[in-house]
Amino acid sequence: MLFFVIRRFGNMALIMVLVSLAVFLLLELTPGSVATKVLGPYSSEEQRRLWLEAHGYMEPLWTRYGSWLVNFVQGEFGQSIRFKVPVSDVLWPRLWNTTILGFWTFAIMIPVSLTLGVLAGMREGGLLDRAISQISVITTSIPEFASAVLFSSIFVFGLKWLPGTSTMSDGFDPLQLLLPVMVLVVYDFGYVTRMTRASMAEVMTTPYIRTAVLKGLPYRRVILRHALRNALIAPFTIIMLQINWLLSGVIVVEFAFAYKGFGALLLEAALNQDIYVIEACAMVAVFVAAATQTLADIGYTYLNPRIRFK
Amino acid sequence: MIELVKSILPAPSKVSALVRALRSFALLRESGVGMVGAGLVLFWVIVALFAPVIAPFEPNAQLLPMAKPGTAFPGGATFWLGADQLGRDILSRIIWGSRTVLFFAPLATLCAYTVGIIMGLAAGYYRGKLDEFLSFVANAILSFPVLVLYVLVISTIGPSGINIVIAITFASAPGIMRIVRGLVLDLRNRDYVAAAQTRGESSWYIMLVEILPNARGPLIVDACLRLGYVVITIGVLGFLGLGLPPPDPDWGGMVNFARPLAIVFPHMTVFPCIAISSLILGFNLLADGLREISLRD
Amino acid sequence: MSNKHNGGCHPYIPELREQLRCGKIDRREFLGTATRLGVSAAAAYAMAGSVFAPGAAFAAETPRKGGNLRVSMNVKEMTDPATYDWSEKGNLARHMTEPLVRINKDNVAEGYLAESWNASEDLKTWTFKLRKGVKWSNGDDFGADDVVSNFKRWLDPATGSSNQGRFSAMTEKVDTGKKDKDGKPVMSTVGTEGAVEKIDDNTVRFHLNRADLSLPESMGDYPALIVHRRFDDEGGDLSKNPVGTGPFALKEYTVGEKAVLARRNDASWWGGDVYLDKITYIDHGDDPSAQLAAFASGQIDANFRTNIEQVDVMKNIPDLVNYEAVTAQCGVARMKITEAPFDNKNLRKAIQACIDQEKILRIVYLGRGAPGEDHHVAPVHPEYFKLPRIKQDYDLAKKYLADAGHAGGIKIRIDCVANPTWEQNACKALAEMLKPAGIDLAINIMPGGTYWDRWLTTPFGMTSWTHRPLGVQVLNLAYRSGVSWNETSYANPEFDALLDEAGTLLDANGRRKLMEKIEMVLQDDAIMHQSSWRSIFTTAHKRVRGIYCQVAEEHHYNKVWLAG
Repeated sequence: MLFFVIRRFGNMALIMVLVSLAVFLLLELTPGSVATKVLGPYSSEEQRRLWLEAHGYMEPLWTRYGSWLVNFVQGEFGQSIRFKVPVSDVLWPRLWNTTILGFWTFAIMIPVSLTLGVLAGMREGGLLDRAISQISVITTSIPEFASAVLFSSIFVFGLKWLPGTSTMSDGFDPLQLLLPVMVLVVYDFGYVTRMTRASMAEVMTTPYIRTAVLKGLPYRRVILRHALRNALIAPFTIIMLQINWLLSGVIVVEFAFAYKGFGALLLEAALNQDIYVIEACAMVAVFVAAATQTLADIGYTYLNPRIRFK
Repeated sequence: MIELVKSILPAPSKVSALVRALRSFALLRESGVGMVGAGLVLFWVIVALFAPVIAPFEPNAQLLPMAKPGTAFPGGATFWLGADQLGRDILSRIIWGSRTVLFFAPLATLCAYTVGIIMGLAAGYYRGKLDEFLSFVANAILSFPVLVLYVLVISTIGPSGINIVIAITFASAPGIMRIVRGLVLDLRNRDYVAAAQTRGESSWYIMLVEILPNARGPLIVDACLRLGYVVITIGVLGFLGLGLPPPDPDWGGMVNFARPLAIVFPHMTVFPCIAISSLILGFNLLADGLREISLRD
Repeated sequence: MSNKHNGGCHPYIPELREQLRCGKIDRREFLGTATRLGVSAAAAYAMAGSVFAPGAAFAAETPRKGGNLRVSMNVKEMTDPATYDWSEKGNLARHMTEPLVRINKDNVAEGYLAESWNASEDLKTWTFKLRKGVKWSNGDDFGADDVVSNFKRWLDPATGSSNQGRFSAMTEKVDTGKKDKDGKPVMSTVGTEGAVEKIDDNTVRFHLNRADLSLPESMGDYPALIVHRRFDDEGGDLSKNPVGTGPFALKEYTVGEKAVLARRNDASWWGGDVYLDKITYIDHGDDPSAQLAAFASGQIDANFRTNIEQVDVMKNIPDLVNYEAVTAQCGVARMKITEAPFDNKNLRKAIQACIDQEKILRIVYLGRGAPGEDHHVAPVHPEYFKLPRIKQDYDLAKKYLADAGHAGGIKIRIDCVANPTWEQNACKALAEMLKPAGIDLAINIMPGGTYWDRWLTTPFGMTSWTHRPLGVQVLNLAYRSGVSWNETSYANPEFDALLDEAGTLLDANGRRKLMEKIEMVLQDDAIMHQSSWRSIFTTAHKRVRGIYCQVAEEHHYNKVWLAG
């Protein structure tokens, strides 16, 4: 178990190096210099040269990458070009905001999709199953940007019930969180529901459930006591992987509602080639991906005692 | 890719493959969901094919800015869905936009499949160091949030049709590779593979002719789902201003372009949203239908 | 010349008054020229006999104290005013740190931290009187030392300030003694020794290498905010050490999210009453629809910029008022004449002949502005001479195209920024107009950061130029041979000579005669297509009083107040 986790994180570290190097090289390809971004288009050639020299950009690529890597390992993420502050000054608050958004999205999505999935999977092919399955497939087909536009048209411009942007500039306001959470839940719950349904339907056909029903145990008890535990193993993994999905899912939502989170930061950094912010965000993304995958695997093992780590 | 494989099969099995393919589409009739999906996709394919005939206006002609839906144009035609802020007919742009999306989405998916299948076949068949290396690269790419990858790649190499195809290939191939690899690991121990090996066939012949056709079922379902994702991706990139370059209509770009006016002119954004959602729904339902049938086989 | 440094007014003033009286120049022109020559804005207004003094429009109402003005604007970094490259950055800082000169809503330079100034007859020596009794928020007195230290920073190439270019009449090129890879000496641009001279605590004199009409205007540009003399010693970061002379203090600042400025209570501001308790800037990202949504749900009171297509939309939200400023801002589809295929004048003429300026203005800008004449001098410039516009003529365009050797048509590409959207709309309209002549124009839209990396080198690009008070200012910056912002690589000795001559003429009428020639030369060389002058807009709730749209998108909120 411990060995498993250590190996996973070793693997993650290797991927981090690979990804960060790829990002560095990719941004090296982009035309134009950072000095123009910092000093603006109206700076002179000489001013840019002096700035580049003063900030170590005249060093060869490998030296810069090496020193970034060394600093990164020590928790120094570098300086943002666009914001002119240390990357961690912007990264952590933004990540926290996205955590809040993600928390509420999950807090609503998980109960809804598990309930719907179990209900649908209980009687495969029944009316309820068909209705739930069709609704999930339709909601999954509406891209986030489309539902963001539709919801804004209805709730902000039409009914005037909800605030149109979610900057939280007067402190945390739950009302402002509603639209972003709605968009995320609507897009994602269908997938989890369908996975839960499939898992539930499979469990319902297993011999021991059939036996339990035939033995005359109350249906309710069969579902709650016997079926549910086994049916929820697969959705657990799926939900863990949704955390990883959320990291890119929030980009559109945060952009559309001006929510100051990780996705908006990453988008802004990518559009402005703010290299150290991009690197830091990339590392967070890789970490979250590896961590959720590992947790999913551990959880899966814990829930399903038939599997043991080799 | 599947087509390519079929064309190099020996004659007898070529017929049988064709028959099998036709049979599975005939089977689709048994799945109501699949039929609806196929209908939606077919609808947009027809719209795209006949765009020059159907569209009431030239999609880039700047005629009557901010026309509301149903406004008549002096020429006799009507802006059924209104016009955008440059006076371009929204219906015509949606119709022509279907060409854009139905050209780039299948193209990108095809490219991703070509790369993904080659990687997956090689990894699953040869295993060993090559498999380890390819799997590691795939894991590295997959551990990165996919949209972030698109934004980063496109904002670096610049938005254009070909770059979107490259970015989608880059981001999707590893996922396809994983599926193919899994299927190959399962199929490579079958008798017919062993027989071909004894006959002395080349590795790539065995991979492409013996293994791949037998893995097609799950791959076709996955391809349909993936087409839906690619349509979303192209839309999202357009929405973030990283999509296909104007002036040619692209649904996501239309939404992005008209959104600053959404409060007064919701029609400019709502109709392209409906168009894109219906096409994605078509692909998703089609995938459902195909899966249903393949389970029944 | 030297006897004119202190006291007295420039010898040209009486003549100017005479011209105004005879109707040879208009009021705006009079105000501009008079204040440029050192007449205080208030005096100039008085001379012009105008009842229209700043703030007069709201004099009837008694301003109410208190309230928080919430403004939607990108909250960018605000480390060092000298390196600001966006108006938004200037706005964040302007209510704390102040300029010597402010360009007011009439496009006239008025004294701010500088009370008055005057120029020698040859326009090479300028003397600025600083306002007395101005205190820094740390308790120090403001004075000539602060001004001298700011100029020293600006002119030092290591600071990287665009002010170095603005005050290039006080710089010179020197050999650093180093050699580059090719063995050529590395030159450096540094401030001329003794160019900025402290006369006494409240007087600074500038000695220029050449005549410069626009020195006061340059001091009113947004990177010319005056920081404390020990700014660099105290960390060189305004957001961390916000010391200023202005009435507001930085209370809260999260880059990319929001900034809160609160009225200073410790000392009274030199400018008298300030009404707002707080100004809150809220960042809604680069998405223009977000601020619309914020207005619609009452989350903001004002914005930084209202995109042109949103002007009508704003009217649909109750209680919002649009404010307009007529400017010399424009988009220039400029061609690099050293790069194929734009090195061919016939091709450039063919492009010009395809364009219907009024239609572009109507489509792209909904008619809000004025059509251009392809020479980058605007009707709001005092020396503007009206030339006939080049008419749309496809036969002529095709003939030019054939002469250029592209009878069968040609494919070209224009680079353009994604935001603001009017720029890409202009390119789209351009593409539509070029099509009938057989010119296939592809549009390459890129993020602002990317475009501004290549604006000087791209063969064909849509560059937006900001407002500058004088026509000659723009021409000197962008079209004189060899200057650093010469994005077209235009080099015409005849044009340069005419421009030199115009730069010494104070008389707008005299200058106008020269401008006719200058504008014709530019138009005829067809180095750009410049279709329209944009008006710019901002929007505010009607309870916000005393707000206006300034030509350079500067926020002047010191006298703004919120009605109950």
